[in-house]
Amino acid sequence: MKEKQWVFRYLLPALLVVIFIIPMNIFAADPIVIGVPTSTGFLEGKEGLKAVELAVSEINGAGGVKVGKEKRLFKVESIDIRDAAPGVPVPEALLGIEKLILEKKPAALLIGPFRSEALVASMDIIAKYKVPMLGAIAMTPASEEKIKQDPEKYKYIFRLALNAKYLVKYLAGTMGLINSEFGFNKVYILNQDVEWARKTAEIIGQAYFQKAGWTIVGQESFPTGTSDFSSTLMKIRASGAQVIMPIFDMPQSGILVKQWNSMKVPCLMAGFISPLAGPGAWKTFDQKIAGTINSIFEMGSAISSPKVPKSVAFLNAYEKRFGNPIEAGHGPGPAYESVYVLAEAIERAGTIESDAVVAELIKTNRQGVLGQVKFDNGHQAVYDMNPQESAVAAMFQWTPDGKRTIVFPTSLAEGKIQLPAGLSSLK
Amino acid sequence: MLTGTIIYAIINSAILALTAIGFNLTFGISGVANFAYGAFYVMAAYGVWMLIHMAHLPYPLAVLISISFTTLSGALMYRFVIVRIKGQTLSEVIATFGIGLSVLELFRYFGFVGFEYTLPVFHDKSFIIAGAYVDAQRLFILAFAVALIIALWLFTHYTHLGLAFRGIAQDERTALTFGMDPDRIASLAVSFGAGLAAIAATVIVPLGSISPEEGYDVLIKALAVCIIGGLGSSGGVIIASVVVGFAERFTDSYIGSHWTMIVSLAALLVVLVIKPSGIFGKQKELEERI
Repeated sequence: MKEKQWVFRYLLPALLVVIFIIPMNIFAADPIVIGVPTSTGFLEGKEGLKAVELAVSEINGAGGVKVGKEKRLFKVESIDIRDAAPGVPVPEALLGIEKLILEKKPAALLIGPFRSEALVASMDIIAKYKVPMLGAIAMTPASEEKIKQDPEKYKYIFRLALNAKYLVKYLAGTMGLINSEFGFNKVYILNQDVEWARKTAEIIGQAYFQKAGWTIVGQESFPTGTSDFSSTLMKIRASGAQVIMPIFDMPQSGILVKQWNSMKVPCLMAGFISPLAGPGAWKTFDQKIAGTINSIFEMGSAISSPKVPKSVAFLNAYEKRFGNPIEAGHGPGPAYESVYVLAEAIERAGTIESDAVVAELIKTNRQGVLGQVKFDNGHQAVYDMNPQESAVAAMFQWTPDGKRTIVFPTSLAEGKIQLPAGLSSLK
Repeated sequence: MLTGTIIYAIINSAILALTAIGFNLTFGISGVANFAYGAFYVMAAYGVWMLIHMAHLPYPLAVLISISFTTLSGALMYRFVIVRIKGQTLSEVIATFGIGLSVLELFRYFGFVGFEYTLPVFHDKSFIIAGAYVDAQRLFILAFAVALIIALWLFTHYTHLGLAFRGIAQDERTALTFGMDPDRIASLAVSFGAGLAAIAATVIVPLGSISPEEGYDVLIKALAVCIIGGLGSSGGVIIASVVVGFAERFTDSYIGSHWTMIVSLAALLVVLVIKPSGIFGKQKELEERI
C-alpha cells in the first residue's frame, strides 16, 4: 500500500514533468525579441507598450509566429528612453536605443522615440544596426525625407502613426467644415514649442489657412511645461478670433481648455490637445471641456468606430485586460497594429533576417485597427478619409453630457459640430 | 487687455510669493539653502492626490494630512541629514539637492506622470473684474497669499517662537546666550519651510497639474525670487515676486509666451550683476567686507 502511495505521490508527477514540461523547454525555439524603446513614463508610451503586450499575448496565445517551418513566440523587451520629458537631451535617448539593441538583440523595434528630434537623430543608429523599426509616436515628415534621400541606408524605418502632414490634412478638413457650416474664418493658433507641433502649425498656415482665405489673427508657441495661458486667452478675446487651434502633446495642455472655459472666451476650440483625447478627460478636467473638438491621431487610439470593427475589438480587449480604457489619442492604435504588421511580414519572409523582413514590410496591405494599412515610398502609413482604402484618424467633439462624437471625416461621422454656449454661427 | 494683464500680473506675483516664501524662511533663519524645496512641494501635491484617489478621503482632510506629513518630512530631513553637516554650505546644498532629486525621480519611476495628476479647484466659479474674467481659485490664492504674509509677520513679531526665529536669524551666538537652541530652531525652520511649500502646492496646483518637472520649476522660481529679493529678506521676496510676476505677465501679453519662462532668469542675471546680494540682501559684498 505504501509503495502504491509513493508511486502516485512522487513517481507519477516526476514522470509527467519529464514527459511533458522538460521537452517543451528544451526543444522550444528561442522567442523573437521585440524591442520597445520609448518614453514609457508618458501616457502615449505607457499605453503604447501595453498595446504591444496585448497584441503579443494574442499572437502567442494563438501559437506564435510561423518562421519557416517552426512557430516562435514573441517576447517584449522595453526601455524608457525619456525623450518626452522636458530637458532630457536627445543623446540620452539615443544611448537607450543603442543599449536595447546591443543587449537584447531585438528582431525589430516598435513604437520608437516620442520626440521627432530623437527619431531623426536615431535613424543613423537604427540603420547602423539594421534593425527594422515601426514607429508609433514621433510624427515629423523629416524622417520620410531622409528615407527618400537614401532609401538603401534608411529602409529599416517605418511609421504606422499619423505624420504631421496627414494631421494637417485632417485639421484642414475640419476647418473647412467649420467654415462651411458657420462661416468662421479667423483663427488663433497655439502650439507647443516642439518640432512636430511647430511644423504642423507652419504647414497648416501655409497650406490651408492662407489659401482658403482665413485670417490667422495670432500665433503663440509655448515651451513644454507651460501651465498658465491666461494672458494669451485675453489676447485671443481681444483679437476677434472665432476659432482657437491648439496643437499640444504635453500633460499640462488640458489646463488651456479649463482656462478657456472659466474665462469664457467666445471661440470654438478645435485642434489637438493630447490630455483631452480619452474618455477619462471629462472627469479629470471637472466636466469643463464640452464643445472642444479634438483629434484622434489614429483609429484605435482612445476611440473606435463601428466602421472599423477591429478598432472596437481592440479597445474592448484592452479594457478587459488592463481594467482601464485607453486615454492616449496617439500611439496605442499603431503600436498594437505594428505587432501584427511585423508578424505578418516575418511569416511572409520566413525568417527574422532584417533585410528580408523589411522587403516584406514594404508590401504590407492589411485591414486592421487603423483601417487599411499600406506604406508609401517614405515608409509612412498612408492616411486618408476612407477606412476601406487607407488608415484613418478622427476628429471628435466633447458633448455637454461628457460623450465624444466623431464629427470628421464624414465617412466616420456620428454627428454634426455643435457650437458652445455664447458663440453663434455667422450663417 | 491692459487691465486684465495687470490683474493677472498681481495674481502671478501672489503665486510667486507663495512659492518662494518657505524657501526664504528656512534660509533666513537656519542658513540652510533647502534644495529639496521643490520636491516637498510636489510631494505634498501628490500626497493630496493619493489621499483623495486611493484612500478616498475628503479633500480638506487630505490637504491637512499632506501638509502635516510634508512638514514632518522637513523636520526628519534636518534631524537625520542636515544636522550632521550643518555649517558646511556646500554639503548642505549637495545633500538637500540629492534628497530632492531622489524624491522627484522616484515619483517618475513609479509612473506618477500624466494629465490625471491634478487637484480640484476649491470653488468652481468665475468673476468679471474690470472686464476680465478671473476664476475663484486665483482670487483665493491672492487673498490667501496676503493673509499668509500678514500671519507670518505677526508670528515672527508677537510670538515667543517667532521672536526666537528672528533672534537666531539676527545673531546665532547672542541668541544662544539667551537660552535659545539653534539646532531646535533650525529644525523647526526647515520643517516650517517644507510646510509652507506644501501649503503653496495645495492652493496653486489646482490651477495646473502635478509632475516631477514641477519640482524643478518651483525650485528655480523660488531661488530666482529669493536671490533677486535678497536671500533671507521677507520684504525682498515680496518685492521680487511683484517685479518678476509683472515682468512675466507683461512679457506674455506684449512680447510672446515663449519668452515668459526666461524672464525670471534674465532678471536674476541683471540683479546679480548690479547687486549680487539681491535688492534687500544682507550678505556683505566684497568692498564692505574689506
